[in-house]
Amino acid sequence: MRTRTFKQTYGELTRLLPYSSSWTWYVALLAALIALPLVGPTYVSTFVLLILSAAVGAIGLNIVTGSAGLISLGHAGFLAIGAYTTAILTTDYGFDLIPTLVIAGLVSAASSLLVGIPSLRLKGLYLAITTLAFSIIVTQLIVEAEWLTGGSIGKAVTRTTVFGYPVRSTISIYYIALGVLVLTIFGALNLLRSRVGRAWMAIRDYDTAARMMGINLVQYKLFAFAVSAFLTGVAGGLSALYVRYINIDGFTLIVSVEAVAMILVGGLGSVRGAILGAIIITILPDVSRWLMNTMFRSVFVLPAANSQEIKGIIYAVMIILFLRYEPDGLAARWAVIKRFWSEWPLGKARG
Amino acid sequence: MSYFWTLLIYGVLVGALYGLVAIAFALIYKVSRVINFAQGEMMMLVAYIAYSIALVTDGNLYIQIATIIAASVVIGAIIERVIVRPMLGRSTFSIVMLTIALAVFVRAFVGLFWDTDSHRYPIAVGGEMVSIFGVTFLVSQLVLLAIFFATCIGLWAFLKYTIAGIAMRATASDPAVTMLMGISVKRLYSIAWVISAVISGMAGVLYANIYHVGPSIGSIGTRAFPAAILGGLDSVLGAGIGGIIIGVVENLAGGYIGSGYKEIAGFVVVLIVLMFRPYGLFGERQIERV
Repeated sequence: MRTRTFKQTYGELTRLLPYSSSWTWYVALLAALIALPLVGPTYVSTFVLLILSAAVGAIGLNIVTGSAGLISLGHAGFLAIGAYTTAILTTDYGFDLIPTLVIAGLVSAASSLLVGIPSLRLKGLYLAITTLAFSIIVTQLIVEAEWLTGGSIGKAVTRTTVFGYPVRSTISIYYIALGVLVLTIFGALNLLRSRVGRAWMAIRDYDTAARMMGINLVQYKLFAFAVSAFLTGVAGGLSALYVRYINIDGFTLIVSVEAVAMILVGGLGSVRGAILGAIIITILPDVSRWLMNTMFRSVFVLPAANSQEIKGIIYAVMIILFLRYEPDGLAARWAVIKRFWSEWPLGKARG
Repeated sequence: MSYFWTLLIYGVLVGALYGLVAIAFALIYKVSRVINFAQGEMMMLVAYIAYSIALVTDGNLYIQIATIIAASVVIGAIIERVIVRPMLGRSTFSIVMLTIALAVFVRAFVGLFWDTDSHRYPIAVGGEMVSIFGVTFLVSQLVLLAIFFATCIGLWAFLKYTIAGIAMRATASDPAVTMLMGISVKRLYSIAWVISAVISGMAGVLYANIYHVGPSIGSIGTRAFPAAILGGLDSVLGAGIGGIIIGVVENLAGGYIGSGYKEIAGFVVVLIVLMFRPYGLFGERQIERV
């Protein structure tokens, strides 16, 4: 019988995946995702594309907030920077997609210094409000810089080329997003299991103690923000590519809130949690629309104009219930279920 | 009257509104270390309730005041008891996220129950103009200023002289010891939420009375964050002063740099101030023991 806790060597502890059998399942999942646009209807793959790019951003946010413990309510700002950089480079300068995404990430990472430096002295909610301030400043500056960004009207995004081949369909964007997500997952897992990840967790748990252990707080906090902003910037670039027309209304405070909701619902500090959260929060509006159509229509007729409000209510209630009854997130629930079945019939249902 | 002084005085008037909201933030934070992100939405809800009652009662002022206070007390108490209290002891982050979800909920609820358009507030007390030292005010703006100062002084006296106020300060410095002294900390949280709901409810109606009733009231909550942070989140009077400063800075930036910068001037100021004073201008520095 396999156990979750018995490790004999250091190598086993820091493995990318705990069992070699896991690889089979993940490769199968990847194959299924690759095959999806070929066999499934287009709207399904468009939907999965939304989840893929949201997952990249959620993993990014989970690095700074979940692993390093620095609360950020400003990730809409990084998303906007990534999206606008992508739009400017592809539309105005005709850059290739891959370098564009990398540059979008780098620009976003550079801007993260603006919040990274105050974060050296700020803690908790002060930091949360500072990051919020950052995202509000960024969006306002984008509106002001009309010559570059189109101001409040917005900007069209041209899908240029990948290594010289023109990108025509959403399906191509899907494969790019899938590739980016796979790279992101490997990168994040590698960072989290190594020295850097351990340093972040030490800072999260007790920064004064971490400093006494010889961890350079300045370096690691700034690095956490930079990595997080890089990934979020790339996610912004991906979203700009499939939306094809970006406007500042797409990067409001509610986007930052959704991102935080993703990692809270999924589970703080874990890559799997970020992905699960991205799935749940991305499908939530559509699930609530479906619920509305099937359940409420029979009871009373609602004017179509109010669907936005009902979505908001269902969304808020879901988050409140999750926080109340599943505080450790879906990743912890997943672990409990997995242990229950692998130890069946000896395990107990609650962790 | 020079351009500068006009901007300055109107800045103070806007700042008084921010100050009221920031005081409401600071009171909850001081007692329970939670920022209520739904503050702006609570303002909005109270303003809409008062608006509906005013439509029915022909804008009777006394019924108005009673409604505002009653509605705020009920809203504050319900939110504290049903939503926030079961979460006590969880990480601050979860509770903050909860208040954000609450904000989304209230906003959607108001949109569903009323609508998302702007309305003129039906009683509009103090629509007359008065001129003081060459600056023209609406009487309602002066009322706002008076209520702001009354709130500051009243709250200061409350925290300094009443038993409940002293207990609140004790909770702010150490909740565990306060509990050991036989004080019901839960009840204090409840009182703090109710007072803060009444203050923000008043601010919401005052805003509605000067401008209009609409979903934009909710965004005043976000605009007041810099004020609360600038003063120091745990300093109630500091938050009021922070509000005035942010109002003046916003107005000056709007007048001299460009109207777009009015929106962000407060946030820029806060970002700069926090680099030098991480606990705000009047906040208490927290000393950590390892």
